[in-house]
Amino acid sequence: MSSEVTKSSSRLWRATGRTLTGLNPALESVLAGVVGLLAGALLMWIWGYDPWKAYMAMFRGAYGDSYGLASSAARGAPLILTALTFSICVRAGMFNIGAEGQLYMGAIAAVTIGYFTLPSGLHITAGIIFAMIAGAVWSLVPAILKLTRGVHEVISTIMFNWIARFLAFYMVAFILVDPMRGEKTISIPMNARFPILVRGTDLSYSLFAAVLFAIVIYFILWHTTMGYEVRASGFNPKAARYGGIKSKRTMLTSFILGGLAAGLAGATVVMGNPPTYAVISGLPQLMNVGFDGMAVAMVGRNHPIGIIIAALFFGGLTAGGRVMQFYGSNPVPLEMVRIVMGAIVLAMSIPELFRIFPAIKKQGTELFSLLRRLTSRVSHKEGSA
Amino acid sequence: MKRLLGVLVILVLGISLVGMIGLAEGKVAVVLDVGGRGDLSFNDMGFKGTDQAARDFGYEMVEIQCATAADYLPNLRNVARTGEFDLIICVGFLLGDALGTAAEEFPEQKFAIIDVGWITGPNIMNIVYRENEASALVGALGALAAAEYGYDYVGVVLGIEIPVLYHFEAGYRFGIDWGIKKYTEVKGTTPDVGLLYTYTGTFSDITLGKAASEAMLAQGAVAIYNVAGPLGIGDLEAVTEFHDNAGTTFGPPYFFGVDANQDWMGNGLHALASGMKRVDTGCYNAVKAVAEGTFTAGVTSLGLAEGGVGISKMRDLIEFVDFGIGAGAITLLDVPSIVYNWVRNRLTVPGWIWDAVDELEAGILDGSIVVPTADTGNEMAAVRAEYTLGAP
Repeated sequence: MSSEVTKSSSRLWRATGRTLTGLNPALESVLAGVVGLLAGALLMWIWGYDPWKAYMAMFRGAYGDSYGLASSAARGAPLILTALTFSICVRAGMFNIGAEGQLYMGAIAAVTIGYFTLPSGLHITAGIIFAMIAGAVWSLVPAILKLTRGVHEVISTIMFNWIARFLAFYMVAFILVDPMRGEKTISIPMNARFPILVRGTDLSYSLFAAVLFAIVIYFILWHTTMGYEVRASGFNPKAARYGGIKSKRTMLTSFILGGLAAGLAGATVVMGNPPTYAVISGLPQLMNVGFDGMAVAMVGRNHPIGIIIAALFFGGLTAGGRVMQFYGSNPVPLEMVRIVMGAIVLAMSIPELFRIFPAIKKQGTELFSLLRRLTSRVSHKEGSA
Repeated sequence: MKRLLGVLVILVLGISLVGMIGLAEGKVAVVLDVGGRGDLSFNDMGFKGTDQAARDFGYEMVEIQCATAADYLPNLRNVARTGEFDLIICVGFLLGDALGTAAEEFPEQKFAIIDVGWITGPNIMNIVYRENEASALVGALGALAAAEYGYDYVGVVLGIEIPVLYHFEAGYRFGIDWGIKKYTEVKGTTPDVGLLYTYTGTFSDITLGKAASEAMLAQGAVAIYNVAGPLGIGDLEAVTEFHDNAGTTFGPPYFFGVDANQDWMGNGLHALASGMKRVDTGCYNAVKAVAEGTFTAGVTSLGLAEGGVGISKMRDLIEFVDFGIGAGAITLLDVPSIVYNWVRNRLTVPGWIWDAVDELEAGILDGSIVVPTADTGNEMAAVRAEYTLGAP
């Protein structure tokens, strides 16, 4: 009886998956977006807010005028990059959760350019290079652990996020601290900041850096041998290996590319976001930019061009969400805004989650068996002792 | 169907129009930093004061929270851009940079900011506090209690090394020194009381507050003064556990609260007093000034004399029990036991000590006693050198 139930439920599961994945990707995303908006509206309605007015405020705040558009794009720029970190590795068949930590390292490295002076253009370039190298180096350790010792990248990158977090805390509090103001690091000097693109907004030229990087990644993945190898090993690792692709090299490549992207994201945040241009104690302006990138990657279908669009949408949610807080006579408090945003993002990531579900399942089984082996070894040891 | 939709649209538009007319009296906005609501201290006080003033002077109040530090400036710009707000209050020094930029971009918009005195402008009202005065009273109480019960130290757990916290530390040091001298004067013997202090480097990691407090209690601290907002929850936990392990329910060691009156926390068992910093009063006064047309740019300093800071008394306990109920931390049923525990705990400190604290307060009020303060690292070093309190 119960096996029949599971069988029929698994059949339903597969059927739903087929239906969803059978749709045109663009149509699918729009449909998912509508479902998300409706879910958000329902939530707001249940708690006594006017969904129509709230959404109007949100769309006006996000895309209503050049100010709104600029605010949305400004928030989207770093998300493009952290989303790339995740998707490059998904394309190679891995789950790199480490964008968050690599982003912190990139930001910390970018701040160090405050200690010397260079001509403006060179100074900005130095910051970008420092940050990208720091991000790549930070991603290298989990990559090497995976290649040489078979350490699962989900576990190692999560751990490295924590190490990065506390290392960044330490650097902010004791090494890079502003001697006049203990709550932040020294600020990026005036001539090493990304110039503001639209006056009176947060949008700086860092957006171009992010978009350019996404296009480069697109070119690498779809128009070079290296990219082909990366995608092939993600698509079917055994076939790729049989075809003569060195899987270790593609893993390393995708980790390094991801690290470069996350490091650059750190640079865009500290060098491109007014007004402080420094890392603040507790990292409040960096927190979650890496994790949000994973959602952006899902919504953007793990495709660089899709990610650019998804990041602008995501930035719009943030920028518009700020406006929802004070618009009209019954504004929506931030907590509710974030719940609604969560509903929308969740709905929009479902199609891609279905698509990569087999990969997730495989990763899950691997992790599970790893944990089981570990626990059995521990209990075995206890038994013998 | 179409007609229904049309009716709906008209209805919605009508509702929003009515809403707009309702706003005609004016609005004030209160912008909080990433700490946000629910700290039972700094941010909640800013909200409380603005909310009260908005009600008293007929404003509509809008509360704006920031999910990340990247939201500070956009939020200020968004609000200022509407031109609908008579005043924007920024609660906390973290908003300082964003305020400086926004105030320059919107010269017609009135701003007020708590705890920032260094960013000024023709449209900015800076509200700063003389936290050193309240901390001196707490320090004197701690030192006298330590001397009375034979403890070696009084403790303080601080957050990040910023000028605002230097005010607290400087005042606390002075107060301890004053308390030692007072004890000598009354009893004829000089007690050996020192200071234990730690900057934890955080305003959010409660576990660090607990760890620091545990270390101080183990060394023989008579009280832990919380100068790091929510870390007080951890400090109080450490004090409570210390009592549990020693098998005592009240008496020393004590907990000292900060900003709000935190005496009611932990069922009133161990919180002897709080060094209050009335962020609510500052916000209230700012809204009041706008309402009465007396808004003036520049730095307003609130101390004991202005009711901006103080050491907690019975009437404050009642007021802040309401605050705790409002925040959902306690219920009305808890009130009798809180008051009973608090009074019982206070009675463990002899009356003459309370009188001495009152004497210090009176001295500060009439200007005969001046409490030192510090704004920079160098000034703080000078205060530390003057009041070493047991440190070599």
